[in-house]
Amino acid sequence: MRRMPSLYGLTFSLPLLAWQLLFFVFPLVFLVALSFWTVKNFTMQPGFDPVNWVTMFARPVFWQAYGTTLALATMAALVTSALALPCAYAVAFKLSPKGQRWAIFLMVIPFFTSYLVRVYSWQIFLSDAGIINVLLGRLGLGPFHLLNTVFATLVGYLTLCLPLVVLLQLFSLIFIDRTLIEAAHNLRCGRLRTVFEVVIPAGRVGLVIAALFAFILSFGDFVSPIYLGGGDPTTLSILITDTTKSGQQWPRAAVIALTMIATLMVVAFAAIRFAYKGRAK
Amino acid sequence: MEPLVSFEGVIKRYGDFVAVKKMDFTIRKGEFLAIMGSSGCGKTTTLRMLAGLDAPTEGVIRLSGQPIDHLPTWARDTPMVWQSLALFPFLNVRENVEFALKMRGMGRAARRQKAEHWLDRMQILEFADRNIAQLSGGQRQRVALARSLVVEPQILLLDEPLSALDAALKVRMQSVLKTLQRETGITFVYVTHSQSEAFSMADRVVIMSRGQIEQIGTPQEIYGTPRTRFVADFLGSSNIFTGTVRHSSAQGVEVETPDGPVTLTGGAFAAPPKAGETATLTVLDTKTQLGLVPPGGANAIRVRVIGEEFVGATATIYLETAQGREIRVQKSHDELAGLPLGIGQELFAHWSPTDSHLVAEA
Amino acid sequence: MSANPANRSRLVDLGLRAYVVLAFAFVFAPIAASFVFSFNSDRFPSIPLGQMSLQWYQAVASDPLVWEGLRNTLGIGVIVGLVSTALGFGAAYTDFRFKFFGKQVYMALALLPPTIPVVIMGLAMLAYLSRIDLSGNALSVIIAHVVICAPFAMAIVRLRLSQMDADLEAAAWNLGASEWKAMAHVIVPFTLPAILGALFITMAVSFDEFAIAWFVSGLNETLPVKVLGFLQGQVSPRINAIGTFVFVLSMGLVIGAQVLLSQKSKE
Repeated sequence: MRRMPSLYGLTFSLPLLAWQLLFFVFPLVFLVALSFWTVKNFTMQPGFDPVNWVTMFARPVFWQAYGTTLALATMAALVTSALALPCAYAVAFKLSPKGQRWAIFLMVIPFFTSYLVRVYSWQIFLSDAGIINVLLGRLGLGPFHLLNTVFATLVGYLTLCLPLVVLLQLFSLIFIDRTLIEAAHNLRCGRLRTVFEVVIPAGRVGLVIAALFAFILSFGDFVSPIYLGGGDPTTLSILITDTTKSGQQWPRAAVIALTMIATLMVVAFAAIRFAYKGRAK
Repeated sequence: MEPLVSFEGVIKRYGDFVAVKKMDFTIRKGEFLAIMGSSGCGKTTTLRMLAGLDAPTEGVIRLSGQPIDHLPTWARDTPMVWQSLALFPFLNVRENVEFALKMRGMGRAARRQKAEHWLDRMQILEFADRNIAQLSGGQRQRVALARSLVVEPQILLLDEPLSALDAALKVRMQSVLKTLQRETGITFVYVTHSQSEAFSMADRVVIMSRGQIEQIGTPQEIYGTPRTRFVADFLGSSNIFTGTVRHSSAQGVEVETPDGPVTLTGGAFAAPPKAGETATLTVLDTKTQLGLVPPGGANAIRVRVIGEEFVGATATIYLETAQGREIRVQKSHDELAGLPLGIGQELFAHWSPTDSHLVAEA
Repeated sequence: MSANPANRSRLVDLGLRAYVVLAFAFVFAPIAASFVFSFNSDRFPSIPLGQMSLQWYQAVASDPLVWEGLRNTLGIGVIVGLVSTALGFGAAYTDFRFKFFGKQVYMALALLPPTIPVVIMGLAMLAYLSRIDLSGNALSVIIAHVVICAPFAMAIVRLRLSQMDADLEAAAWNLGASEWKAMAHVIVPFTLPAILGALFITMAVSFDEFAIAWFVSGLNETLPVKVLGFLQGQVSPRINAIGTFVFVLSMGLVIGAQVLLSQKSKE
């Protein structure tokens, strides 16, 4: 381990550093500057004017979208975690190693399919004359209005997050020492109680991180709320795309984006604090 | 014998931690030198500095008289056999052995010939095209040796290379190593924590503790006359007594210990301790005798049997003095015949004044 | 394992297994439906199925914009794969080998980008790249995709390096290999499976990324951006045809990588 930077070491270390500074840090920093620029006659003027912040924060529609986004993402994180947990638990504790490998392989496949295509596919299932309503109709039920509802948005979020959350939960459960569970049974802790008293606390860090990822993904996603949720109520990510793409109001979009980043940082920090609470680092 | 390597005032610090404290010693050409100590004593750091993997904080290391500290490890011919063996898993046996030659720019044919020579010498030529994963522990060991020896270095460094092997294979590899060293005449520097490995193979042994050299000598010297209390303790084959010097002269020393007076005579000590000082003396457990009655003269201590242990032809008897100090005696079964050894049996431990040695307290 | 069967309940086990099947059904339902309906003639797909037909594939194949999008996607994906794997490899090796002041910041830069929502990355990239006159072309998509792909490559290579005997590189130096030679003869051969894996996976990530690409690509739309366009416009089963095609392509890459990797590790 040498301390002196050598040509050899820099050859491997510098390119990524340079790239991420130039194309990751700088754009985000520029976003901060941009939020103080003004737009006159459809052209942006550099400056230091808090007008965008004042305008955006004074708009009820912004705060409505903020509340909607926060509520939807929280709901997505909780629902996804709750629905994924039995699956991850079953794979971790009830399947053979071979079954586990298959389960992991299958859960990885969705990462290589287009999210857009899957969302479109859900439209086929959920629309008024779609597969689900046809099937329900044969049972004499419905038709139900499923598409363009919060339910549909959540289905989209679930499509986006479930594979990742199952995998993250699985990796935190699979490494729990089996003797912990046997010890709990041995001490007369029942099966279900063991799940809540031993398995979930032991895997807490991974479970919280998984929920955090579900929150982050849903918080920033604009596809499900538009194409399954119908764009109403609007979310912050929809607001950003609208403001950027049609309105030419990039500085205002920057205000929304920065508010989102600040929110995500607070949530991530709180989640990680909660995950490690009472644990020696 | 001329020195091949010399350490001159070598110190190695990691931040505030001193791994090696001011080390001065030489390694002779063609010898089998073992560096022994418990973990964290600085033995591996010493070896790594010689290999050029770690740099000394202070001091100079010379190889054949030339300072080598400015040379990176790849510019030194100090190949090492690693504790983990560190064989390249993506290369087969032959390619592993050829590696060092390839790095030196040797042509394909010459490389192959040389590698095969060493594979043959290590009796693993038949495995030349196997993958490392297909080899047994002993075969891997031989590949690691061949890989390092193929450049025919003046010196070979070995860092606990046998620690992963089972006991029987270990003994077998010890004789392989010893023979190899004798036949090639290459200087071996062998780091180990195992006394049996060091003493069975090495011409000279360096004993280290907390970054310092405690003693350098042949196995016989170290075993027979440990220089310090640490060495005697570490080897675990001596009974140790500490007390106040009562009489001292060039002929002998008498020390008053809590268990009674003990004397030694004829010991070769440079400066006899003065009366009133504290002194420690040792006697090997094999030279400690047992009897039902005290023999005439000095060095007889009343003891009680507290346990016995039989390993093969020898027995170790554990005894306790009136002060609660433990004393060990090692004897063959024949020597113990007729002696009552039930737990609690009172006996006398005694030894000749010429069999004990004075050691430094440090 | 021979755990005492009295500690298990067959009913609970059965229920849990059924639940796993259900979860996988939810995950694969849209993928399967997209595949099935890509061969179905109905304009508004539902059940019962209409006629078996390749008309959506024909519609897609005869759309020059789709071809252009595919070309863009493939070209961008290959370059993104190469560049982000190279950068990720360097970062993984840096983490493996060196200790230095500010390493945590370095590692944060190396790993954080995928956690920033894509709309925000898209906006930031669009604003920044148009400021430095790099927006609205394939290059801008490449730049942005490398930012989010390099962390994946870094993670994959780092994982492989952590499986390496820590002494292996030092052993190579000790046998006369300079740092550069040890890199070429030890580190690269050892991590080769991970390098190839990272290459395929970063390509696959780039193939599917639509949001950032949508913000910065301008007129040089990639295929996923094209799909977003179809989704915005008239609902069209053409999406299913493209989706199935891209799925087969991506899975081909992934399975190819898997086969390559398992052969390598068996050696």
